Amino acid sequence: MLFFVLKRVAWAILTLLIASWIAFVLVHLSGSTPGGVALGPSATPEEIVAYNESIGWYNPWIQQYFAWVGQVLQGNLGVSLIDGRPIGPDIAKRLPVTAALALGGAIFSAVIGIILGVIAAVRGGAVDRFITILTGILLSLPAFWVGILLVYFFAVQMRLLPATGFVPFEVSPEKWFKSLVLPVLTIALTSAGFVARQTRASMAEALAQEHIRTLRAVGTPPWRIVYVHALRSASLPILATVAVQFIVLFGGSVMIELLFALPGIGQAMQSAVGSADLPFVQALVLVATLVVVVVNLLLETLNRTLDPKLRTS
Amino acid sequence: MTVSTTAILTIRRSEKRRASRLFRSPTAVIALVWIVGLVIASLTSPLWLRYGPLEQDLSAVLQGPSAAHLLGTDELGRDLLSRIVTAAASTLAIATIPPIVAVAITVPVVLWAARSVRAEGIMNRISEIVMSLPGMVIILAFIAAVGTNMPLVMALFGVLLFGALYRILFGQAKALHQQLFIEAAAVDGVRPMTASFRHVLPNMSTTVIVQFVLFFGIGIMMQAGLAFIGLGPQPPEPTWGGMIQTASRFIFQQPWMMVPTGAVLALTIIAANAFADVLAGGAATPPPLVALRRKRKKATPDADHVVTVGPAETAASTPPEATALFPVEPITDYTDTVEIPADTPGTSGPDLTVHPAAGTAVDGELIVEDLVLGVDGGPALVTGVSLHVKPGRVMGLVGESGCGKSVTSYALLGLLSPGLSVRSGRIQWGAVDLAQADEQTLAKVRGHDIAFISQEPSRALDPMFTIGWQLAVAIKRLRRVNTKEARAIAAQLLDDVGIVDAPRVLKSYPHQISGGMAQRVAIALALAGSPRLLVADEPTTALDVTIQAEILALLRTLVADRGMSVILVTHDLGVVADLCDDVSVMYAGQIVETGSVRDVLVRPEHPYTMALLAADPHAIIDFEGTTRLASIPGQVPLPGSWTAGCRFAQRCRFARDECMTAVPLDPRAEGVGGVRCVRRDEVRGRQEEWRTPVLIGGGDL
Repeated sequence: MLFFVLKRVAWAILTLLIASWIAFVLVHLSGSTPGGVALGPSATPEEIVAYNESIGWYNPWIQQYFAWVGQVLQGNLGVSLIDGRPIGPDIAKRLPVTAALALGGAIFSAVIGIILGVIAAVRGGAVDRFITILTGILLSLPAFWVGILLVYFFAVQMRLLPATGFVPFEVSPEKWFKSLVLPVLTIALTSAGFVARQTRASMAEALAQEHIRTLRAVGTPPWRIVYVHALRSASLPILATVAVQFIVLFGGSVMIELLFALPGIGQAMQSAVGSADLPFVQALVLVATLVVVVVNLLLETLNRTLDPKLRTS
Repeated sequence: MTVSTTAILTIRRSEKRRASRLFRSPTAVIALVWIVGLVIASLTSPLWLRYGPLEQDLSAVLQGPSAAHLLGTDELGRDLLSRIVTAAASTLAIATIPPIVAVAITVPVVLWAARSVRAEGIMNRISEIVMSLPGMVIILAFIAAVGTNMPLVMALFGVLLFGALYRILFGQAKALHQQLFIEAAAVDGVRPMTASFRHVLPNMSTTVIVQFVLFFGIGIMMQAGLAFIGLGPQPPEPTWGGMIQTASRFIFQQPWMMVPTGAVLALTIIAANAFADVLAGGAATPPPLVALRRKRKKATPDADHVVTVGPAETAASTPPEATALFPVEPITDYTDTVEIPADTPGTSGPDLTVHPAAGTAVDGELIVEDLVLGVDGGPALVTGVSLHVKPGRVMGLVGESGCGKSVTSYALLGLLSPGLSVRSGRIQWGAVDLAQADEQTLAKVRGHDIAFISQEPSRALDPMFTIGWQLAVAIKRLRRVNTKEARAIAAQLLDDVGIVDAPRVLKSYPHQISGGMAQRVAIALALAGSPRLLVADEPTTALDVTIQAEILALLRTLVADRGMSVILVTHDLGVVADLCDDVSVMYAGQIVETGSVRDVLVRPEHPYTMALLAADPHAIIDFEGTTRLASIPGQVPLPGSWTAGCRFAQRCRFARDECMTAVPLDPRAEGVGGVRCVRRDEVRGRQEEWRTPVLIGGGDL
């Protein structure tokens, strides 16, 4: 077990290094330089060069890369070129927003998806076909478009919820909740299709296993076979799908965050890319990779506890 | 030679199947028409659109649909239809970049990794790392570096899809490489590279195409998403994502604006995904699942079925639906019931008469009568099987593989696989007809009255739960005791089935114990409800010979101690001689000979039984001076190919023209029971002839 953990952590660190290296190279390949971005269009070329020299932009890449990694290891993600504020605290403030969005979306899509998938697998026939078509449509809909439709119905027409905007939890839990309902619902609806399809496939496979016959032969009630035995063995692939959804949402909720004006990671990424805030871009790639790597580690650990074959070997 | 023929055949078949699946599916045709139509409309748009995509009309801003602007206008009075259609061609063209790049990178890598163990190790790691990269964030960082050059950004997206595609394709390529024909090709000296391209790649082609189409849809979605957040092609160039973004800004003034663009975008992605679904062939037509709910069958016309029927009447009493559904199958004999002469002695012998009054079985007695099982919408698998198991007796059900033994045993407890069902006949257990019983009635019988042991002990237990838990749950329900008592009973049961280390086994998971041990546990589980009848479907087939003997000894002890009756499905006549009181020999879905073990094994009257005996390596009956084992030429005919006459005739060395007519189950010449052979009196006692390898039979073997 210890060996397993060490091995996984080593891989996680390697992945992080590779992601940080990709981010570093991309930033250095870009047409903009820190000086040009920070000093704005009014700066003279000499001023820009002077600025760049002061931060070591013309040093060899290797040197710059390790200087940056060294900084990061000390917990310093650098300062924004646009407003000069430290990046670390800014990201820390944004993380809970994106986390709430991704977590809420993953949980609700899991609930909707598992229910639909189980019904499809157990009922079969016309119900199954209907759910297959429904999930096919759900997973094809662009989330940001579904979001606008939801805004139109729930905010513009029915005036039940705020259209956009975000209220921090500390300010008002109720308003925080309300500001997240529509974004989370949007994500849940558009991600549920994937979970439903995986659940259906895994349940169908689980129900076709030989031991199901044994269970039926000793008179096990059908609900027990479906919800205890089949769902239990289907739980591993379903969990993996939900984790993938969470990962995708964490980095990919840019559109949702922009649509609903949520100050999360995605929104920061969009504005940093738009304004060529190079250190910010670099830091965000690192943070997003960290989240993916951590979620993957958690998933593997969970898998090992859920799967008796892995746990006991 | 054979190798490549096989491979070519598989490929051709799969390509043909794929094409026919696409053209027979209305979904696929509509999806294709939509996408192709959109591209054509877009490319020809300058010829037929009334407004250019950039043509502003500030007197007609934010309009809904009208005759002038079929889909309305945007905030600058530009025609939405014109903008949507104009954007289509480039969007769809650029959306092919991610799948092209992903496939171009992944397929060669997969073919390489599937061939070489070292490459496999490296590529697995690399794909793992690529999968762990936050795709969207990397793409955005890339845009920060290279700008909003869509083809380039989409090419990077394709590179990032490598991880996912590799994982999907590698498993398949690996499995293909391990298939015999590819290994055979390697032995034949086909170069690995050639083998990959000739055998592996074509067989993966469907998966590759499906993924290509799915990635195409994702490519459209990604472009729209980037344009939506302002990082796509820059205005005023029309993009679907950009138009939806504009619509979201004017949601209060003109909500209509989000409808046309969003709908076209959504429909295009739906079309791509639906097309991929049909190609994959899986999601659209789901495989049959375990029917946990049994469909009620229509009433069968044998409610007042007469017990003794002559062959002529038998033909008349053929269930009409069977004839209607299977006109090609000339089976007319659906009954196995025979009249036993009144003076037949010995009530302890197998009694084939069915109680004439109502056909109800005595408590603990199983009467199967005229059981017909079949594939729904397909051929019959078992036709007119009758069995009679008296309390405390062991009935063997023997025959080669594919004779319908296991299916019959499943049917006794309503455990038929989905897609199979009881067409007619009765399974009388006490006052209940299990063939007609609903799931609730069956649940009361299963485990309590009749228990079941399956062929493969290692797969018979749920791998996710400990043995103790599985036993305790069943015991709690079947014996209505609390958890603590159930645990004690579970330990006792394991002890009863000869497991010495019960506490350890109780704590184990099924994968931690051996096959023989698992079969003992499965037997303990079957005993949990103290059943009176045990249906054992080849309980020793999957086990080592030494373990087989132990399990048989255990079964013998259990029968003796508990007075259970047993139906033992097996193909091993040694097991029958060892354990059974009575035996029914099945061939091609019907019983060809039945009687007491002594009668059937010592004085077989059916040529098939004789052949089986002569082919039995255990040589349970000593035929003097002969050591040669018989082999029965040919194979068991497949369901659906059975003829009206004797189904064994084709392989029978005694077959004559008279065997081509329907054969009833007649009473045995000696002893109690039945034989289905018109030449019974001529062939009786000639079992030794099977040992000489002369092939006669139907003449074509």
